[in-house]
Amino acid sequence: MVKPVFQRYWNPYIVLVAAGLLSALYFGLTGTVWAVTGEFTRLGGEVLQVLGVDVSGWQYYQMIKLEGSTWSRPDGWIVWGMFIGALMMVLLSNSFKIRLPQHKRRYVQGFVGGIIAGFGARLALGCNLAAFFTGVPQFSFHSWIFIVATGVGTFFGAKLTRMPWWKGKPTLVRGAVRGSDVKVRVIQPYLGAVIALVYLGFVGYLFSTGQGLLGLGALFGLAFGILIERGQVCFTSAFRDLFLVGRSLMAKAIVIGMAASSVITFVVISVYGLPPITQVAALSTLVGGGLFGLGIVMASGCETGMMYRLMEGQVLFLPVFVGNVIGATVLAYGWDNLGIYDALVKSGEKINLIDTVGPLGAILGTLAMLGILYALTVYREKNYHRNFGLKGGIA
Amino acid sequence: MESVREADFTLDLRGESCPYPVIYTLEALDGMKPGELLQVITDCPGSFRNVPEEAVAHGYTLARSPVKNGQEYLFYILA
Repeated sequence: MVKPVFQRYWNPYIVLVAAGLLSALYFGLTGTVWAVTGEFTRLGGEVLQVLGVDVSGWQYYQMIKLEGSTWSRPDGWIVWGMFIGALMMVLLSNSFKIRLPQHKRRYVQGFVGGIIAGFGARLALGCNLAAFFTGVPQFSFHSWIFIVATGVGTFFGAKLTRMPWWKGKPTLVRGAVRGSDVKVRVIQPYLGAVIALVYLGFVGYLFSTGQGLLGLGALFGLAFGILIERGQVCFTSAFRDLFLVGRSLMAKAIVIGMAASSVITFVVISVYGLPPITQVAALSTLVGGGLFGLGIVMASGCETGMMYRLMEGQVLFLPVFVGNVIGATVLAYGWDNLGIYDALVKSGEKINLIDTVGPLGAILGTLAMLGILYALTVYREKNYHRNFGLKGGIA
Repeated sequence: MESVREADFTLDLRGESCPYPVIYTLEALDGMKPGELLQVITDCPGSFRNVPEEAVAHGYTLARSPVKNGQEYLFYILA
């Protein structure tokens, strides 16, 4: 029992359906969604405040409510819970290792890509979570625009990835090379178990002291972290690998997960009468989604994927994380100070499908859209392999 | 268990993150003569799945089962 759970990665379909159901449940319990980049923006604001910059007048921070500290916000605990859940599973499976890219250019690519992705995500008001994986099930039309824009952005990102000066040359040597020496003493799983116990104790403390919302954030964050690490859930690869090598697994799993989440969220909204979370659909969604798609491919990971990769010891994702926070903070600054809101957002409006086409139309339309996405994914995969077979080389 | 044959080429990708292990592996295989054996050493967890799966999807065959070596994997692919 222990071996399959900790030694093998889990089936992405099961993981993404579970994540979709949990995010619908989290919405039902708290009225908020699973999201991370809003908190990254607040983190940037907190850092600026520590440095003595007064950000209280910035409109963006008023909109996303920069109050208290990251430790006193449920959204904050979603983020830290995800980091801890991922780290826990990495250690329990004995897979932590400091991994340094052979090509130093990756750090620059990661940092620049991270900034672009952070900026784009917040311009569009959500990354692949709030404007995608948890946005579609809220029937917020901005996520439909975001998906298309992200697809276009990743397409160009994938083109860039193929450039010789970008990807660099690998070290291909003649003959065999021995693998690294393996340490006989295994201590990582014990560390993982200790972290799990301490963290669960802490969550229990939050609940027992009446801080239920923080506790829920901490608990669901943990679950999401466990899921994305064990499922190796990578939104970046979903689009990118379709373009690059005709790989469809992650894209299909994400679509199925969103479909499951949409149905459950629909039930939650109808039964409990909770208002769905709707974001502005505007030119900013289109531009932000495009930048986000380009940035995540440049950085090799989005704001969600970089979290568990950093915990695995992939050092590349340290500059990506820093870049994400910087990009999000720059956007927060530019929102009113550089006129971004007036230019790209003001003309838009919040469109929720439930209001515009009715509840039945919203769920059926969403499922139909996901069905088309699924069909396009399968088509692209087949088309890629047909071309590959004809040309006898990488497309 | 198949008889263990020495690899003709080795692609040491330790430290590289996705998607580069897949791209490098496919390009290396593309440049090799049919029947030559490529050994791939990688430690990016995403590549543990996408490298062997994409090699097979692109018409190459795994010469032997992957070897898990601590936090890295060794793959043996016939061009």
